Amino acid sequence: MTALAVEIERSDSEARRHFTVEVGEPTMVLDVLLALQRTDASLAFRYSCRVAMCGTCTIRVDGRPVLACRTPVLLGADGLLLEPLAGLPVVRDLIVDTTPFSTAWRSVEPWFTPRADAEPRVLAADDPSREAIESGLDCISCGACWTACDLAGAEHRFLGPAALNRAMTLAADARDGARDRRLRLVSQEGGVTRCHYIHGCSGACPKGIDPAASIRRLRRWSIGAGR
Amino acid sequence: MPGADAPLPVLETDVAIIGSGGAGLMCALHAAAADPRLSITIVSKGAVGRSGCTRMVQGGFNAVLGEGDSLESHFRDTLEGGHYLNDQELAWTLVNEAPRVIQELEEQFGCLFDRTATGELDLKPFGGQSFDRTVHRADQTGLEIMSRLRDQVFRIGARELEDWRALDLLFDQHGELSGLTVLDTRSGQAAVMLARVVVVATGGSATMYRIAAPAREKTGDGVAMCYRAGLELRDMEMLQFHPTGLVAGTSALTGTVLEEGLRGAGAQLRNRLGERYMERVDPERLERSTRDVVARASYTEIVEGRGTPAGGVLLDISHLGAAEVERRFGEMAARTRLIGADLAVGPVEVSPTAHFHMGGVVIDPDCLTSVHGLLVAGEDSGGTHGANRLGGNGVAESTVFGARAGETAAAIIGGRGLYMPEPELVAASVERAYAPLRREGGQPPFALTDRLKDTMWVHCGLVRTREGLLQAREQLAELAKESSRVAVAGPRDANPAWQQAIDLESQLTVARLIVESALVREESRGAHFRADFPERDDESWLRAIVVERGRDGEPELTTRPVELTRLATGGRMLEQA
Repeated sequence: MTALAVEIERSDSEARRHFTVEVGEPTMVLDVLLALQRTDASLAFRYSCRVAMCGTCTIRVDGRPVLACRTPVLLGADGLLLEPLAGLPVVRDLIVDTTPFSTAWRSVEPWFTPRADAEPRVLAADDPSREAIESGLDCISCGACWTACDLAGAEHRFLGPAALNRAMTLAADARDGARDRRLRLVSQEGGVTRCHYIHGCSGACPKGIDPAASIRRLRRWSIGAGR
Repeated sequence: MPGADAPLPVLETDVAIIGSGGAGLMCALHAAAADPRLSITIVSKGAVGRSGCTRMVQGGFNAVLGEGDSLESHFRDTLEGGHYLNDQELAWTLVNEAPRVIQELEEQFGCLFDRTATGELDLKPFGGQSFDRTVHRADQTGLEIMSRLRDQVFRIGARELEDWRALDLLFDQHGELSGLTVLDTRSGQAAVMLARVVVVATGGSATMYRIAAPAREKTGDGVAMCYRAGLELRDMEMLQFHPTGLVAGTSALTGTVLEEGLRGAGAQLRNRLGERYMERVDPERLERSTRDVVARASYTEIVEGRGTPAGGVLLDISHLGAAEVERRFGEMAARTRLIGADLAVGPVEVSPTAHFHMGGVVIDPDCLTSVHGLLVAGEDSGGTHGANRLGGNGVAESTVFGARAGETAAAIIGGRGLYMPEPELVAASVERAYAPLRREGGQPPFALTDRLKDTMWVHCGLVRTREGLLQAREQLAELAKESSRVAVAGPRDANPAWQQAIDLESQLTVARLIVESALVREESRGAHFRADFPERDDESWLRAIVVERGRDGEPELTTRPVELTRLATGGRMLEQA
């Protein structure tokens, strides 16, 4: 066991910020939070699945947006600084209100809409559109890309990487009947043209998705999709 | 302390759905499709569509779609796997509707399932099945299904109460269901929700074990509130342990499932001495035996001293070669590397892990219960899986019965008004929820939760005896006493420690019903193994144990013969009228 110094950004300025916790191996950042909760029961953080599927334990660790359940604590580290995600209102301590993120997501009309002629109904294994769709699936809506994006978190006038990535998976899908409408939606102010390709999102995604590439595809398709 | 004397806010809705996993969201979509004018409210203790366990499904979804497969075959496998304790009408509904739901998920909601080069759905083999029928998207099937369902729910525009928990069902003075009490866990404000129909779809309670797989939210809230409201529960003793949960010291990663597909692909289990003990236990099926058999075999190795020092056995698939393991099980290999092991190149320590509750509320195939206006769907219900669930039948159950609940809700709503709840019920429910915040001098819930998990693991786990269960009964009674003194300091807004205190109440309620039912069943069947009654006894025990809350507030247990409406225990299909 090794002693680790942990500093946590708290909502209440009176609340304790500095802790020391004994950690063994293996220890994830989530384990540190669960241990500290027993020292200070008022500590607020969230998690659900522990296996990088729910995307609710996202926080900043030493400034980087990560999943607490997926981030090992390195023994011998100087210490940890834990902060809530940037670019979203803080509910309390490490819990943020993800409404801006989900509002942006909803605004691309992210639901699949079957084509009126229902052709094709399904995509074969070798259907060329599978590659594009699959490159954007498995997003867990964790918001790491939102925080990492210089535009989304900062000014909320950009739909952000995750929503545009979702739009790409639908626009790539030959089964979907709302392609034109969705391409118009993402071509508006705050859509694909606002991305400056700084690639913060792609570096931050814990699932290995490349939202910047998705946005590039979407921009290409939206040119000529008409307004 | 706020909330006590000020009048509570009152919300109204046509359909209140508690839970936002596969069952809850399918219910919302099908209710909206059946009648777009309905107002639908989703009450979700965690993030909508991102809490609960449907999303964590790795393996897949069983449905009869392949050429040569038959509904009868899937049905027979489900009953064989369930050791004939199943409600056959529920199991038949599951099997019969699963293909239609797969088609809906793919063609209406856009799920991208794996297909073969010739365009057929790629159906993979799973434990206990006579035919390959498991639909999947790589090893992240649940994530694909839940992401698509979640996005469809945006389309219907249901009211989403995210981070709100349901507390209790409410009734009027004549006993008519009037809705529920709810708690906004972000603000800490309680409210009354009047609803014409309530659907309970919160998921199970396996988190009450020391080593456990489910998501944090799954603390038996739905079953506990139904029990308090007087509904009948069945098969509560049937709690499934998955054979291969990760062993990761004190990390919360302990208990998370390494999927069944590993054993299907040839992974071997060995004890500390290097013995492949499944050769002793089930020489024919080896590691591909059913979950109950493999889990108990591993457990026996561990408690008899042949496990690893950390309390596990060794799961090894490295003979496939690192590249092949990465290709097929990449997500799991990555997880093992977090803890200093590597599934791709060597053995990983695993332990049986509490996984799924077969028991739950008695329902009919339309999800109707004995209370008019109250529906139950998914893991909160009992009977579909009998004494053991097959891998791949879980996500099938949530989506099939969630859809049915939505249709039933729309069908019965015309006959239901809004009823004013008895004020005493509201007051008692809210008082119970706020009590830990108002007490002074007590301890937070953490130590009690730990003790509950230890009690259930040691005395009501994979191997049970009368003596151990009696100890569990005693320890649970003591924990119940101590839990009434739990106190949580700190604010009422976004306070996880307070929420855990409320979770503990649900867990203790459900734990007691599991222990009492396990005491009654003096035989071994599926997940329930009694070392003092090690054989299955169809003569005396082809019966479901049913429990409800008696007039004195204590559990009342009875048994009820299983009705063999379609398939006899010998495997003979019966003529259908």
